[in-house]
Amino acid sequence: MAEVEETLKRIQTHEGVIGTIVVNAEGIPIRTTLDNSTTVQYAGLLHQLTMKARSTVRDIDPQNDLTFLRIRSKKHEIMVAPDKEYMLIVIQNPSE
Amino acid sequence: MSIPTAKLKKPTLKVTPSSRAMNISTSGILRLNRSATYARSINASVSRKSFCLAADSKILEKSSVQTPKHTIQVLDENGKDVTPRPVYQPDPAAVQSKHSKIFASDTSGGTMSDFYSTTYQTTTNASFAGAFTRSLFGSGSVSIGSQSIMESMSEEIEDPSSKRDNSISLSDVQVKREEVKELIQEEMLDDMVDLYLVESDTLCLLDMPAISVSVDSMEAESVKERNSRYTELCKNRTGNDKYMGRSMQTFNGASKTKEVQSEAITMADAATIANNWDMYDSFCSAGQGEVDLSTDTDKASIAEMIHQNHGPTRTMERTMSVISSSTIVSSSSSRMEMEPFVVPSESKPDPELILQSEEFQQHLFVMERIILENIYQPKLAAYRQLPTLEDPDSMPKAVPMVVSRREESSLDEEGPPTPALERLWSFSCELTTGRNVSSMAWNKRNPDLLAVGYGQFAFKDQKPGLVCCWSLKNPSWPERIFTCQSGVTALDFSASSASMLAVGMHDGTIATYNVQSREKTPVIDSSDCVHKHTSPVWQVRWINHERALSGEDKGEALISVSADGRISKWFLRKGLDCIDLMKLKRTRNDRFKRQVGEKERKSEALISRQAPGLCFDFHPTDSNIYLAGTEEGHIHKCSCSYNEQFLETYQAHKGPLYRITWSPFCSDVFLSCSSDWTIQLWRQDLFTPVLGFMSTQRAVYDVMWSPKWATVFGAVNEGRMEIWDLGASILDPTIVNPASPGVKLTSLLFATETDCVLVGDSDGQVSVYQLKNFTAGEGTQVGTLEDIIGSTLASQL
Repeated sequence: MAEVEETLKRIQTHEGVIGTIVVNAEGIPIRTTLDNSTTVQYAGLLHQLTMKARSTVRDIDPQNDLTFLRIRSKKHEIMVAPDKEYMLIVIQNPSE
Repeated sequence: MSIPTAKLKKPTLKVTPSSRAMNISTSGILRLNRSATYARSINASVSRKSFCLAADSKILEKSSVQTPKHTIQVLDENGKDVTPRPVYQPDPAAVQSKHSKIFASDTSGGTMSDFYSTTYQTTTNASFAGAFTRSLFGSGSVSIGSQSIMESMSEEIEDPSSKRDNSISLSDVQVKREEVKELIQEEMLDDMVDLYLVESDTLCLLDMPAISVSVDSMEAESVKERNSRYTELCKNRTGNDKYMGRSMQTFNGASKTKEVQSEAITMADAATIANNWDMYDSFCSAGQGEVDLSTDTDKASIAEMIHQNHGPTRTMERTMSVISSSTIVSSSSSRMEMEPFVVPSESKPDPELILQSEEFQQHLFVMERIILENIYQPKLAAYRQLPTLEDPDSMPKAVPMVVSRREESSLDEEGPPTPALERLWSFSCELTTGRNVSSMAWNKRNPDLLAVGYGQFAFKDQKPGLVCCWSLKNPSWPERIFTCQSGVTALDFSASSASMLAVGMHDGTIATYNVQSREKTPVIDSSDCVHKHTSPVWQVRWINHERALSGEDKGEALISVSADGRISKWFLRKGLDCIDLMKLKRTRNDRFKRQVGEKERKSEALISRQAPGLCFDFHPTDSNIYLAGTEEGHIHKCSCSYNEQFLETYQAHKGPLYRITWSPFCSDVFLSCSSDWTIQLWRQDLFTPVLGFMSTQRAVYDVMWSPKWATVFGAVNEGRMEIWDLGASILDPTIVNPASPGVKLTSLLFATETDCVLVGDSDGQVSVYQLKNFTAGEGTQVGTLEDIIGSTLASQL
């Protein structure tokens, strides 16, 4: 447990990381460093996108599965690690 | 006797209704009566020829339909009332109506043919009636013929027997009745009673009338006559007015429409999209036999889940898929099983559980790596000699700087640009700040894994040591952290089992760690060993012995050198144990003494006979030979076969030797560096160094040959890091990189495969530098080195 907390803290303090969100399967945030409305917005939108991405991956090959999703935009990069029970979202500004 | 004759004799009985005086019609017309069944049956039983007779002997003609049964009386010739008493008295009204119905069609007057038809009808009816009249008793005696009829016509065999019984019982009843009457007049008992014995009628039990008659018999004529009459009749039938054709038509039952209305069936539409993977999941989960809830779709609600299971079955019906029908059945059954399982999945897993789960840790780990990759991507790419990707959205300010620098550099030299070191990144974290990097080692199997040992060199301010395993993919936090009880002074990864790390410590302990596991404790420790080192272990090395030595198994052995003057070989027996390969004895400086020619000095008081060993290196090809450097400044060439004596001794250094390394390319050339500010290049057959290098007046802590070029080596002294290229210059280092002020550089490590150098310093940082614009030439430059050595030697002579 302590290791998890440490790692989470380290991630949050890395260079360029804007926010870290952990939501459960229903979209309720477990851990977040952003405000609630932003968290809920991110969680909801990314949940749908993750499901679509996963569906795409598995349609091509049902034995395959989605492990990670990265969306790079002009301003930042959103990284999503999906799971069946939770979702880990990190928003980073890679170039500073 | 002929039956008909018997019948002729019959007409003794007269049946008279008691209640109403009705005429008994003995004519051929049959009146409807209950007991007329018997009469008819008798008539029917009688053969054709005796038809008329039968008609005469229709004793059983009953007068009317409506006469109640108990009013009928049968009287025999004596006038006795032998009316059979009914044993069972049913409801008269009900019975009557039944009978009237049955025999309704029988009323027909008329001709013989009609009679015939009626008789046949009646016989059939009689058989029916027999069923009804079983409970009723008609005249008992008349039942003779009826019995026969019954037997021949009806299917119920019981009837005749019952009738027989009836007749018998009836007579019994009759007798009883009479007895009752008699009893009343008791006085009459004394009277003389006249009993007349009369021959009773012959009971015909079975009458099977013959159908055909012999020509010689009496009735032959009458039969023939009848036959002829009948044929004539048949001929006359057609077209004759007397004969009427009758047709029958069965009535069609009146149809009646009946309407039924049921409740409206509520329909619910359910739709889903069945994906490829949805079908695959259902197939897999059905095949497993248990509900696999870990389908990869997020279950937002129960309905969604059920729909998902509805969907596949529907699509399966539609599409020609590989899934067999048994799967459909099993998936539907699994759907049924799914219902009870739905509920637990609804309960949200505890957030704490999520955070503690293994998958979450794994995801965090991956996420961190990816974040760091974003940050360090250019540096890592440079390390791996990949082209650096320019971020298209990066700030444009960086670009002109690079351009200008390039312009400047290109303007400066006409020739090739100067070789330089570019600092890529450094491995450091808050744990390691302030610690002195004492040793570094690459993992033999995973070239991205680096083990760094932290420990103080000096005796004072010793603190618990630290070993960190860094991965190239995460320069900000080590993968493994091992705390040791004393400062770490030596490290080496094993080659055979790539996850074993040997650690030598300042208090002489040697421990091995398994870096694959997450345990913080060493696999094995030498602190319990009897022969453990008593002084700091300055170097450990895993050496692969090709030849078995002194009965030991071939394989890898851990060799260590420590300040107590022993070079020991460690192995696992009942714990970690060691044998001494060599004891480094102090050697007196005989040569110098002789040269100087002084008289013998007084032998110095020796603290110990052993000379502290500081470093050693095994020959790259011959694992039997190794060099050992001592604090005295001597280099001893030893062999594993002799553990008493050195093969050779090289004396040149005036201070403790910190490092000896064989050249990886030239097998008899080695380098040594010591605290006397010099680096010496030796050839193993010469007792004086071939070349000596000195650049600053600082102790040289570490030296290492480049794995790529034979002429290149790197050295680190207190204040700076130097790269020497002997092909370029043997007097000055080619690249010099000064250390940050206040920080001493302590160790150096070349990275294989890439042009990078790692430098550890006393602040706990391991910096990664890339050699830029540096090349010693094509190939390994072995020839160049040998040329240099050769020319140097030649010049010395």
